[in-house]
Amino acid sequence: MWSQFIATLIGIWLMAAPAVLEYAGAAADNSHITGPLVATLAAVALWECTRGVRFANVPLGLWLVIAPMVLEHETPAAVNSVACGLALASLAFVRGRVKRSFGGGWAALLRHQAGKTA
Amino acid sequence: MNNAANTPPGWSYNPAAWSQRLPIIVLAVAGFVMAAYLALYQYRVVPKVWEPFFHEGSETILNSDLSRLLPVSDAALGAFAYLLDAITGIIGSQKRWQTMPWLVIAFAILVGPLGAVSIALVIAQPLLFDAWCTLCLATAVISVLMIGPAMDEVLATLQYLKRIHTHSAAQFWRAFWGLKTALE
Repeated sequence: MWSQFIATLIGIWLMAAPAVLEYAGAAADNSHITGPLVATLAAVALWECTRGVRFANVPLGLWLVIAPMVLEHETPAAVNSVACGLALASLAFVRGRVKRSFGGGWAALLRHQAGKTA
Repeated sequence: MNNAANTPPGWSYNPAAWSQRLPIIVLAVAGFVMAAYLALYQYRVVPKVWEPFFHEGSETILNSDLSRLLPVSDAALGAFAYLLDAITGIIGSQKRWQTMPWLVIAFAILVGPLGAVSIALVIAQPLLFDAWCTLCLATAVISVLMIGPAMDEVLATLQYLKRIHTHSAAQFWRAFWGLKTALE
């Protein structure tokens, strides 16, 4: 839970970063797009039932790591992008405590049940 | 209130219990109030919009071409969606994951796209207009916060429908519409 809370905050930070660190252009557009996506996915993953959504932030985090090589970034923007990206990709692997049970969860929908072969 | 008979098999709690649904309903009502206020400004029923942080930001966003892309303004459409969310959150018993699958799934279909559209609009604010709108962001936060808690009930319903389908595919649609089935 705490990991996805931090990831949510990183998403919100990305939305504000172009204004705070004073960068514009493609780097700012990238922050303005990935920020809300990251924050949304992490906020959905806050809940135990949808905790698996956290993995969606792995590709987004990796994208933030390579973005400065693809799009023009000034130094502060590049450092911020790589740092946020590494943090997000890592945090996605922290499952956190899941106390509740959900009848086998989402995987149960894909699993073949005994009744079908009988 | 939240007795074992209403809890889906294999679950440690009942996702259709009022304690689970009430927070979502409260969020939906709050979203409705905010979106309705923004729509009233867009139609100039209220002459000015409240904007504590971003100066002309709210005016820029709320009067943009994008907000008038459809016959009704985006905030009016949003208010309608939040209202439907609140209504579909209220209807049904604490066993509605089994007795009203169609409603739970309709509820999920409403919550999902509402979140997606809200986020698309949040991205559009700085990208297209170089402006932020405080209350628009607040409604987006609400629609995002609704997604997670709404999904457990959907999972319980899908698991129930899967059990029915496995047992007897012919009973599937009867179960979907909450009619009597041979199973359970």
